[in-house]
Amino acid sequence: MPLLDFQKVERRFPVKRSFGDLLANRKQIYLHAVRGVDLAVHQGEILGIVGESGCGKSTLARIGIGLQPSDGGQVLFDGRPLEGPDREGRLQMVFQDPYSSLNPRMTIGAQLEEVVARYRPQMPRADRQVEVQRILAEVSLVPETALKFPHALSGGQRQRVSIGRALCADPQMLIADEPVSALDASVQAQIINLLKGLNRDKGLTIVFISHDMNVVRYLCDRVAVMYLGEIVELQECASLFAAPRHPYTQALIEAVPDVRRPQSLREPITGEIPDPFAVLPGCRFAPRCPLAEAACQAPQPMQPLDTGGLARCWKTARLLA
Amino acid sequence: MSLLSVRDLITEFESPSGTARAVDGVSFDVKPGEIFGIVGESGCGKSATCRSILRLFGGASARIANGRITLEGAGDLAQMRERDLAQVRGRDVAFIFQDPLSALNPTMRIGKQIGEVIRRHRKASRAEARAAALQLLRDVHVTSPERRLDAYPHELSGGLRQRVVIAMALALRPRLIIADEPTTALDVTVQDQILRLLKERCDSLGTSIILVTHDLGVVSQICDRMAVMYAGRVVETGAVRDVLDAPSHPYTRALLAALPGQVSRDSQLIPIKGAPPSLIDPPAGCRFAPRCTFAQPQCTIGTAPGLHPRPAAAEGHFDACILNEVSHAAA
Repeated sequence: MPLLDFQKVERRFPVKRSFGDLLANRKQIYLHAVRGVDLAVHQGEILGIVGESGCGKSTLARIGIGLQPSDGGQVLFDGRPLEGPDREGRLQMVFQDPYSSLNPRMTIGAQLEEVVARYRPQMPRADRQVEVQRILAEVSLVPETALKFPHALSGGQRQRVSIGRALCADPQMLIADEPVSALDASVQAQIINLLKGLNRDKGLTIVFISHDMNVVRYLCDRVAVMYLGEIVELQECASLFAAPRHPYTQALIEAVPDVRRPQSLREPITGEIPDPFAVLPGCRFAPRCPLAEAACQAPQPMQPLDTGGLARCWKTARLLA
Repeated sequence: MSLLSVRDLITEFESPSGTARAVDGVSFDVKPGEIFGIVGESGCGKSATCRSILRLFGGASARIANGRITLEGAGDLAQMRERDLAQVRGRDVAFIFQDPLSALNPTMRIGKQIGEVIRRHRKASRAEARAAALQLLRDVHVTSPERRLDAYPHELSGGLRQRVVIAMALALRPRLIIADEPTTALDVTVQDQILRLLKERCDSLGTSIILVTHDLGVVSQICDRMAVMYAGRVVETGAVRDVLDAPSHPYTRALLAALPGQVSRDSQLIPIKGAPPSLIDPPAGCRFAPRCTFAQPQCTIGTAPGLHPRPAAAEGHFDACILNEVSHAAA
């Protein structure tokens, strides 16, 4: 049984209507941020969700943690429907900007203790400080960090504190939304190593949301690629990068600058992510796709791949043949 | 012959806690038609270096305390009066900022904004300026350019906005474009398009570019030569393939070792321990020494080491590590 299971999850945001729109009785417009996402997160894995801005990856994360409701479908956590944030704190989130997610007026120790007290009330008060020290050590911070305020820490240290705070609830799963995007490369490596270690040593399940293909390639076991609210490809990490099957995944991987090589001569894909309001009946990548043809206008179900993965492109099977 | 030659540049910023030398003795040359990359992490002085060239400090209390910035045919920009420098900006040297939305006037249509750049520096009627703007939009491959002339910046996507900013930068055919993180705010597929566009336009017009970025991958994609900065100083410089394929300064090597794209999944990434030093009171000797795994006692004394040719290196490949110098002398 998957630990976290998205089943046909939908999310639409109503677009604010002006008074004039109301008077003219114009129809309510929705931005369809997440469309029919089916995704199972298994115990002990690091699942990557990649895509460009506006693809719905962060909305999916917020639904997965119970911070936002879905408009359709359901999310099962440990077999039970998720209704709001988990009361036992078994699901925890790490955000991109550690500074805005920490309380600037509380010491790090006090913030961490608060979480321990909230989710592990059976722990005697006297033991909490010891537990906080154990967690600080787990995220490779020195014991004195407990006495500091967030502003006195560097970006990398703050992100360790954020991860430490999530660990205070003794979670089964971490959803990390772009946790290393705001950090310099040398610091980014510390956080990636930390997440990898937590997964390896404690079996912590991690959903890792990122736009950085290099980080995802290094860290994740499986990867889901999102485009305009849909998952367009889902594969084991190694086979996704060795043999991307959806034309969008191929373009995304091709576009990543490589420090070992100068620019390739290949033509890049044209255009940008189109207007998310546009109603496209078929493949949503078709307007930018070099392989698009008339049949792409039909609805695209996920197609099984020879690698065991899935891709939302009817041509993938033929491209192989 | 260099198009731009920067020598011993020192730029200081006043802050409540003291004077920070964001740029401390930086020298480099940009040749005609080449793309020169300046890379480093936040606070290394890469932006301050390129802003010093045109004195674009955006209200910060910064001053150029020392150095020469010689632009071929225009003299020393560091000594130039503000009024004369204003003529150089846009005409000889154009600047592209990271965030295209804040670089554009939100209340002015695209066509008029581009036209204004042209009319600011040369005589042209409104109609001529508009026609020139249309051609510039075509040159940067904006789709349906006629329609975009009358659009406002907020109506365009991030990639289109950056194309418009590039069109404005190219409007007066400058000899040098300084681009400060031009693709950092963009998605990776759009970044790829914009980098190709910059290279294509500059190749066809013979324009030089100084590309400032934190992303070594971006430098690898389109730059010819590069400089790596750390704590206000250039620590390594050379042709891009020489520096990235055979890095010699411990900082450059550490930076590459920390990149997840460089190692297999089974090996650990090697982060750089510690944090960059304060620029108000930097440590003696090599500024990277406190974080360097190879540091020796002699690394932490005296003044910060300057660039010197690295042993057995390709031509033009320099670094600022005294340990490399020693091994050179021994060999």
